[in-house]
Amino acid sequence: MTDLSTFEPRVTAFVCNWCTYTGADLAGTSRLHMASNVRIVRLPCTGRIDHLFIVKAFERGADGVIVSGCHPADCHYTAGNYHARRRFGVFRELLTFMGIDPQRLTFSWVSASEGRKWQDVVNETVDRVRRLGPFDSYHGLAGAATAADDPFAAIEATAASSDAPEHRGAS
Amino acid sequence: MSDLQDTARRLLDEGTVQVVIGWEASRLGARPVFVTSADDCDKLIFDTRCVHNLATFLNPRRVQVAALGKAAVVVKGCDAKAVAGLLREAQFERDAVVTIGVRCGGVVSEPSGLEPPELTSANVAARCPGCDVREPASVDFLVGEAQPEPPVTTSLNERIGELDALSPAERFAFWTGELSRCTQCYACRQACPLCYCERCIVEKSQPQWIETSPHPRGNFAWHLTRAQHLAGRCVGCGECERACPVGIPLGLINRKLQQVVHELYGYTVTDDPAVPAPIGAYATDDTQDFIK
Amino acid sequence: MSKPAKGDMKTDGAQLKTTKATKATKAKPGAKANDAIATVRQRFLVSADALAALVDKLAAAGTPAVAPAWTADGTTDATDATVAATARETEYRSVSGAAELALGERLPRLSLKQYFLPPTEVLFSYRRNGGGEVELTPAPTDFAAQVVLGARPCDTAALPIVDKVMNWDYADELWNARRAATTIFSLACGVEDDSCFCSAVFLDPATAQGADGLLTPVDDGYLVETLSDKGDAFAAAHPESFAALAAGTDKAATEQAERFRAAAGERVAGHLTLDHERLRNWLENHFDDPFWATLGLRCNGCGVCASVCPTCHCFDIVDEPESVGRGVRRRNWDTCQTCVFTLHASGHNPRADQNARYRQRIEHKFHVYPFKFGDVLCTGCGRCSRACPTSQDLAEILAAINAKAAGESAAPDKAGKASKAAKGADAAPTTGADS
Repeated sequence: MTDLSTFEPRVTAFVCNWCTYTGADLAGTSRLHMASNVRIVRLPCTGRIDHLFIVKAFERGADGVIVSGCHPADCHYTAGNYHARRRFGVFRELLTFMGIDPQRLTFSWVSASEGRKWQDVVNETVDRVRRLGPFDSYHGLAGAATAADDPFAAIEATAASSDAPEHRGAS
Repeated sequence: MSDLQDTARRLLDEGTVQVVIGWEASRLGARPVFVTSADDCDKLIFDTRCVHNLATFLNPRRVQVAALGKAAVVVKGCDAKAVAGLLREAQFERDAVVTIGVRCGGVVSEPSGLEPPELTSANVAARCPGCDVREPASVDFLVGEAQPEPPVTTSLNERIGELDALSPAERFAFWTGELSRCTQCYACRQACPLCYCERCIVEKSQPQWIETSPHPRGNFAWHLTRAQHLAGRCVGCGECERACPVGIPLGLINRKLQQVVHELYGYTVTDDPAVPAPIGAYATDDTQDFIK
Repeated sequence: MSKPAKGDMKTDGAQLKTTKATKATKAKPGAKANDAIATVRQRFLVSADALAALVDKLAAAGTPAVAPAWTADGTTDATDATVAATARETEYRSVSGAAELALGERLPRLSLKQYFLPPTEVLFSYRRNGGGEVELTPAPTDFAAQVVLGARPCDTAALPIVDKVMNWDYADELWNARRAATTIFSLACGVEDDSCFCSAVFLDPATAQGADGLLTPVDDGYLVETLSDKGDAFAAAHPESFAALAAGTDKAATEQAERFRAAAGERVAGHLTLDHERLRNWLENHFDDPFWATLGLRCNGCGVCASVCPTCHCFDIVDEPESVGRGVRRRNWDTCQTCVFTLHASGHNPRADQNARYRQRIEHKFHVYPFKFGDVLCTGCGRCSRACPTSQDLAEILAAINAKAAGESAAPDKAGKASKAAKGADAAPTTGADS
């Protein structure tokens, strides 16, 4: 079990290249302060974000997930966000039914000019996930052989060493 | 019954089709049969034991069935929905298959038995009560007598309501327990008329999105994906659950998603192939309450 | 229980190639596995109450017995008395108390195999260290001792059969370690149904093949016969449960047990009779028989038959990364019934359709394995037929092949009348298996 007193939520954000990523970039260049718990994965479009990305994030140690892209009518590819909205509308209900607390998920529209909204999305999500605590129940699903140690320990250890070709530090 | 046999016989005699896919009686109960000769059409039955969704055999990747030639398939209402699903998704042309619809008053949950059992609330398949296609409309032939409504039983909806009332942690514990028995044999997929992919995502290894090891983590990924890929497509025939060798209540998940696509997008799965499925379509004013 | 059913042996006298596994017994298929049956060491009478107390005691001690138990899951509620007994399923599991036991009821839905070859198990974990070295940690093989109580003889009998595969060209450490750590008391079976055919594959409902002890229902409980050191040791460790037979009751209990076993054997013996030598020869010479071209039609290709089978043992090996530079190698159940089992990287699939895959299932169990190891890779438990979503009926298919084989061997000119007759039977391939 993760030590609650030192618990820092790990949140994975899957964002679209055109709006949210640029919005997050704006938040950074505007020097907005926000929680540093979010790792961003940039994709072309929310329509490219498969539900399995969320599953994989939870499998590999995420405590919360953000999915964010262009506002309706703003999609760079016209309709990718509309398709995503339907799919994630269903998937969110599916996860809820399977007992995965929907509070661990944030879906948002953040445009390229909404650096401040991204700051809010990040801070609110991290706060919410911090209150929920670590998602040990999911991380430990594969049994003692895999849950025995912190899934991120190896990342950090490998990142610190010189031969870490796969790892591109996101923090 | 003779209606069914006569129709099949005529189709084979006239050479309209080369095989009729229907049910026969065997010592272990009703089972799918592939009749290629008009002389064998008296094997064909339809009764309360005919639970299998024969649309499954229309998957063009079942090459050994396709090799028999053009097929006529006997369909209950739920099977007709599956045929419509395959047509909607362009798996074959409408005139590539002949559908013989049977009027259905419900089936039992298991096909076993030497005689067709009377339907009761104890033995009726979970999907049958409340069925909306007991006389499929989209078929080429409709045979058999009009049937009474299936008996009412404890509905899937009630069980779903019970689960919905639990806390997320309790539901997670419930499903972890259920899924821990899964061996990832994929019988649920193979029995599903709409799981027809040439290569299922679980069998793709570069990258390996779904862990094939049947620990609960791999099993969650598999069952979340199976359900999500069938959202708005599942016809609710219950074959996945019946095929499961370890009794995982997949019908609950499928029914839940039927409820969800109905509530969110007003969609009900139908035997009309012209109605588009909800995933893959969209409306600009779709609900987005869940999006910040 | 030193005897295999003698009647079962008479149909079989094949000349198999002598392998290491067959040397000891003059290559009599069916005989070798039965060699695993030791003679009875000791007899005890264990009352139903004593057995329940033993199960409770083991659970309380933190070493629960594995035993058939009612399932309590989303589909069937074992505690709900309104659920008909026929609708209730059983499974092998570690029982937390005697109340869960389902001894002598329906066959557990998965076989005992899962306790020796789990659906998934770790082979080793790996970690890439800083210097580019890879550190491997093999899965431990020091399994805690476990006891199985009330196993089906058709499940227990499968273990020596699979032992041969697991120790053929490589001694499978995990399988062997689990076998060594497990003591099995099976329960003579009195509950057969139309899918059972143990007596057609050299066994019987009370076979002690693979067991360390055999329970047989008698008045007031069970006659327990120990058959190995492990069986003796377990009985010795629980003297309050294993009551020595009082002088005088020995004979009565033994006779009653014999009657129970004989009656069960007679009931199942009528289900199917196979001439294994002829069957094997037919399979060897009819790889392209038209019969096969119909068998896969109704098959979903799901491999439920292999999942539930006590003797199917194929596994897949996967590496699952846990994180960057760290992961686990596991092996998982696999089955020849899926289309990807033989799919080559080139895209070519030597078993191109389900007919070929179903033929593989029959060939492996009744031709290839017997050829290699002298036994058959089947205990006649019938699970495959019961569990098949499309009611593929193994007993019916075997009977059909057996009849074809008999027809051919009866004809003097094999290329003439008999094969014509066989072709005639195949001319209208309308069902999966015309018997």
